[in-house]
Amino acid sequence: MNALDVAISALKAIVILVAVIQVVPVMIYVERKVAALIQDRPGPNRVGPLGLLQPVADAVKFLFKEDPIPLNTNRLLYTLAPFLSLLPACLVIAALPIADKAVLFGKEITIQIADLDVSLIYVLAIGSLGVYGILFGGWASNNKFSLIGALRSASQMVSYELPLGLATVGAVMVYGTYSLREMVVLQDGTLGGFLPNWGIFYQPLGFLIFLISSFAETNRLPFDLPETEAELVAGFHTEYGSMKFATFFMAEYMNLSTMAGMMTVLFFGGWHLPWITDQQVLDWVGSQNLLCLIQVVTYISKVAVFLFLYVLIRWTLPRFRFDQLLHLAWTNLIPLGLINVAVSAVLMYLMRGPA
Amino acid sequence: MAELVPIAILLGISLLLCSGILLVTQILGPKNPVPAKLGTYECGVKPEGGAHIPFKSSFYLIAVLFLLFDVEAAFFLPWALVYKESLSEGPALLWAMLIYMGLMAVGLIYILRKKILRLT
Amino acid sequence: MKEMIFALFSIITLLTGAGVVISRNVIYSAFNLVLCFFGLASLYLLWGATFISMVQILIYAGAIVVLFVFVVMLLNFEHSSERSQNFWIILGSGIGSWVLSLFLLRVLSNTLGASPYQSAAPTNLRTVSKLLFTQYLWPFEVLTIFMLALIIGIYLLGRPESEGTQS
Repeated sequence: MNALDVAISALKAIVILVAVIQVVPVMIYVERKVAALIQDRPGPNRVGPLGLLQPVADAVKFLFKEDPIPLNTNRLLYTLAPFLSLLPACLVIAALPIADKAVLFGKEITIQIADLDVSLIYVLAIGSLGVYGILFGGWASNNKFSLIGALRSASQMVSYELPLGLATVGAVMVYGTYSLREMVVLQDGTLGGFLPNWGIFYQPLGFLIFLISSFAETNRLPFDLPETEAELVAGFHTEYGSMKFATFFMAEYMNLSTMAGMMTVLFFGGWHLPWITDQQVLDWVGSQNLLCLIQVVTYISKVAVFLFLYVLIRWTLPRFRFDQLLHLAWTNLIPLGLINVAVSAVLMYLMRGPA
Repeated sequence: MAELVPIAILLGISLLLCSGILLVTQILGPKNPVPAKLGTYECGVKPEGGAHIPFKSSFYLIAVLFLLFDVEAAFFLPWALVYKESLSEGPALLWAMLIYMGLMAVGLIYILRKKILRLT
Repeated sequence: MKEMIFALFSIITLLTGAGVVISRNVIYSAFNLVLCFFGLASLYLLWGATFISMVQILIYAGAIVVLFVFVVMLLNFEHSSERSQNFWIILGSGIGSWVLSLFLLRVLSNTLGASPYQSAAPTNLRTVSKLLFTQYLWPFEVLTIFMLALIIGIYLLGRPESEGTQS
């Protein structure tokens, strides 16, 4: 590990982090526009052409707002909670393999911040820490609504972490590795000649469980019980304002993009184009860097599709009740996750190749 | 070791970013604290009593059960890692996990039958 | 270099561990505990045990401390008003735990042949997993029966006293 390597990884970290943060303004705009479309109203249309500068205006507004700390709060934890929410969201992206590799400065650079051999568990583990920001934030606010929101959120997040983990177990079984990068590499090519060789065709039920759990893990509608505005004011961030509030918001959107990325990587072939192998693309474009660019675009488009799905579902489905939510996790998703693992195990045994 | 350096760098950058955006708004934002602004907002009604009220124990049960099932589910991960390559060596690992999963399912069915997760 | 990082994380772990005990506010204890587990996980990473390190965060920092925080929030004993004023109890327990840890270290270093820091070879996760599910299968399954007993015990201890009293 020499200075050049360190510089390259720092550069990668900055570029990828900044790129992922760009999800936030884009999502704010898309979310408001889609909401407007669904509710048959114009949506943001004053700031810039088509309201495109609305996120910028929002960000500037957040920055210039007063940042009061309410009385009777626990000042330390109140200030720390947005950090605790955003930090895991930033750290998780280190494990996501965005593209294969590019050749720059005469070195092969993998488009992934850290190629851990346990990157899948890394995502699960760091992702599970996001709950502290919400718990501490809700508790420190000294507000009953915040506290209820925090407790709900934590129960929901821990309940849905189990099906989420069980769904990834199915993927680990199929690929036989924890490394997200290796998983993507294994999804190259076609399955039976007519399907892309993607995880969803091996683990359809696992994908569904993962998708549903990811909504709950990121506190999105129909599972946004922590911030049900109709009953809890705004949930755990009722007492937050200014940039602290925006930080919770950023964390939510970054977690969304991580979840979308995880689904892309585990079940939808990561950076691979369907029906075409990387080798074919490489022969066609003739340059590793161009291939890498195509891979990045492919990955981002897949993630974008999932993010759009999140937005669509948010504005079309009504909210669950809290007991229904827990019921869904414990009586449906966790048993289904177990059955999925068991059935996959038996099927894999029956369909094993010759020894 | 070497693959940890990027994560350390990312941690540093994220820390800088988090503290940066919170500091900037401290500097840029106006400062005009008045009691009404700093009060607890509970729908505009005067807060009744302290906010830290005792809650129903069902939340606690969920957390304990999550802990137990999380530990149990964590054992699936090493198993899933070696399952594929062990297929050629007979069904030993399959049986190991089916028995384990059966015991886990008994626990799950028990708590579901007892309806302790009912929050209403 | 590695020694420096090791020392850094050890100090973090020890300081936050002390913070867990010393903090008067229980929620600060829980917060320190998260950091302490993080320090431990970093130490595991440093020794090449990536899987254990991640599971340490997943289970301990992600589940067990959540449980602690839940208890604190549900019961809401914000400040433990009575602090143990007895200096001798604190001193005694401090010395006791120090002696115990020295003793444990001695035992461990005898069994491992060297200090854990030096002897930790990067273990092959696949080998360990295979051993767990073949050679050590029965202890593993017995563990599951313990877990089952725990689940039933939790129900018996934590079930609502009578249905319908609280809403």
